[in-house]
Amino acid sequence: MNAFGTFVQLIVDGLAQGSLYAALALALVLVNQATGLINFAQGGMAVLGAYIGMSVGNLVIPSVGPIAGVLIGIVVAVVVSFFIGALIERFIMRRFQGGDEDTSVVATIGLLTLITGLVGIIWGFNFIPYPFFFGSGESFTIAGIAISVWSLTTFLTIVALMIVLQILFQKTKLGLGLRAVADNPRSAALSGVRVGGMLMIGWGLAAALGTIAGILLAAKVQLNPNNFDAILVYALAAVIIGGLDSPIGAVVAAWGIAIIENLAGTYLEFIGHDLKVAVPFILLFILLILRPQGLFGRKRVVRV
Amino acid sequence: MNAVVEFFGRTWVRGVVLAIALVVLLVLPLVSDPHTNQTISHIAVFAVAVLGLNIVMGYTGQVSLGHIFFVGLGAYCAIIPIYYWWGGSLAEGAIVIGFVLSLVIPGVVGLVVALAAVRLRGLALAMVTIALPIIGVPLAKRLGDLTGGNEGLSIRRLAYEGSDGETYRGNPFGAPSWSGLDNDQWQYYLAVLLALLFFALAYFLVRGKFGRAFAIVKANEAVAGSMGIDPYRYKVLAFTISGIYGGAAGFLYVVVLQYTSSETLSFGHSIELVIATIVGGAGSIVGSILGGAFYVLVPQLTNAWGLSQYTLVAQGVIILLVLFLLPGGLASLPRVIRRLTGRRRGGQHVGSRERAESTSGNTKN
Repeated sequence: MNAFGTFVQLIVDGLAQGSLYAALALALVLVNQATGLINFAQGGMAVLGAYIGMSVGNLVIPSVGPIAGVLIGIVVAVVVSFFIGALIERFIMRRFQGGDEDTSVVATIGLLTLITGLVGIIWGFNFIPYPFFFGSGESFTIAGIAISVWSLTTFLTIVALMIVLQILFQKTKLGLGLRAVADNPRSAALSGVRVGGMLMIGWGLAAALGTIAGILLAAKVQLNPNNFDAILVYALAAVIIGGLDSPIGAVVAAWGIAIIENLAGTYLEFIGHDLKVAVPFILLFILLILRPQGLFGRKRVVRV
Repeated sequence: MNAVVEFFGRTWVRGVVLAIALVVLLVLPLVSDPHTNQTISHIAVFAVAVLGLNIVMGYTGQVSLGHIFFVGLGAYCAIIPIYYWWGGSLAEGAIVIGFVLSLVIPGVVGLVVALAAVRLRGLALAMVTIALPIIGVPLAKRLGDLTGGNEGLSIRRLAYEGSDGETYRGNPFGAPSWSGLDNDQWQYYLAVLLALLFFALAYFLVRGKFGRAFAIVKANEAVAGSMGIDPYRYKVLAFTISGIYGGAAGFLYVVVLQYTSSETLSFGHSIELVIATIVGGAGSIVGSILGGAFYVLVPQLTNAWGLSQYTLVAQGVIILLVLFLLPGGLASLPRVIRRLTGRRRGGQHVGSRERAESTSGNTKN
């Protein structure tokens, strides 16, 4: 492959990998929009959802065949995750709503530890393959660029989810309610918004979204309770750069991060494959000094 | 119960309790078994680590999720000079160099990270610092020539060339023959005495001018600014000191284990350290010791009971329970007991006064 071909290939691969970061980033944005929090357990919840999908898939595949089985697994996992997310909000996180930010960060850290531990007890800490109807290596070639089925699926899924979320926030009454609750729960309640319900829906939707990210990752690499630790960090970088209030910003930032780290990993000898993860953070540091509110985010004014 | 707690609240009683605790700490290794000594040495290591995290998180109110990075960095800075130079012409000087580097380098790195990261508030700072261990592990592996890569570096049986040209093997932190101590006792004294020194320094730091400035920055940055206390500068300072304490814990880690690898600074341990800090008690010296004990003892107990797969769940459940029931951590237990017993016995007047006292304490936490 010629030099230009390699370059384009890296960008295409970066878009796919970035879509994975973007899926988790969207879940973070969703929770933040609904509750004003950052859910550090989002990756752990995504893994839990993927394990549920895998177990359900394995259970029904013998009777309904591989394609229907996997689809049933995905649907069940997404629905179950929605309820898990809503219940976690209602019975654990609600307690910290409106309190000290630091406390809620620690609470989600505790949640991450708890969920990772539970997944480890139920499914073990070994790598488990996810049953899927296409292999992770299957690909086709367009103009000399290899595009895997996984890459295309992931990319299209994320674009669709991003559009849906943007419409949800900007054009629907539910999205307006979610934003109102995050912005000012008290005045939202006075305007007739059911604050508790909105918080639960926000967490539930985010958990469902995270599960889609979890299953997309599981289709590429085998499942493990710690699968999402590094991806969570990329997703956090994406939402810092893209701004916590902008689904499109988060997705574009996630793509940018993945493409830049792919290019740096290939063209900068010292970085290589293993140190790619440092690249977004070096950029982030530069960005923080230049533009503390993120590229797409709005500046907030704090009053005493 | 109330009287007991009040009794222990008096200054002279506290002094006596502290003195007794010190004597017990110093006599204990002579009479207990090696396993107990090693466990207490481990607790000393991680109590210093938790103390460092407490300075930035508990006292200054900035969430750092990457503190273990400084511990791991300090451990590498301590072990590398010893590994390459000990026993040669530098002799024990290598240990001194290791000690100095394990404080200076994490401090400088903490400063550099803080200069950028501290521009962010609350959540975003947590989001940036969480990346430190995620980057640190592959970085340590990449610098394998220096750090020993996946296997790490061990100095338990370190080869060195004696003055007669022969090759000997020795442990830089083995007990010297003049001391008449076993290795575990010698390492215990090194670790515990250094830990006490760092705790004493922190005690004076948080009670002095800087500690008051940290508390104001934590309570309200805008107010701090209006009082002539630049929140940015004090947050950077707290972060730097916390990095130095992390590095100190890394040095103690090498004293006690004579080994380190990239596993030392892994993401999971970073999370555990945050949990230990909050369970012990944010913004509390005693809480830091309890946090260190929590960090060491929970995995040890679950292992001893053959339930090691339940370690994470136990930590997760305990931290959530602490946040629900005891937001000040284990260190706030006496205060909570006093409040509860006071309310039960003393009727409205005492109860309301104690409650007011405890709520003002809570906002400080």
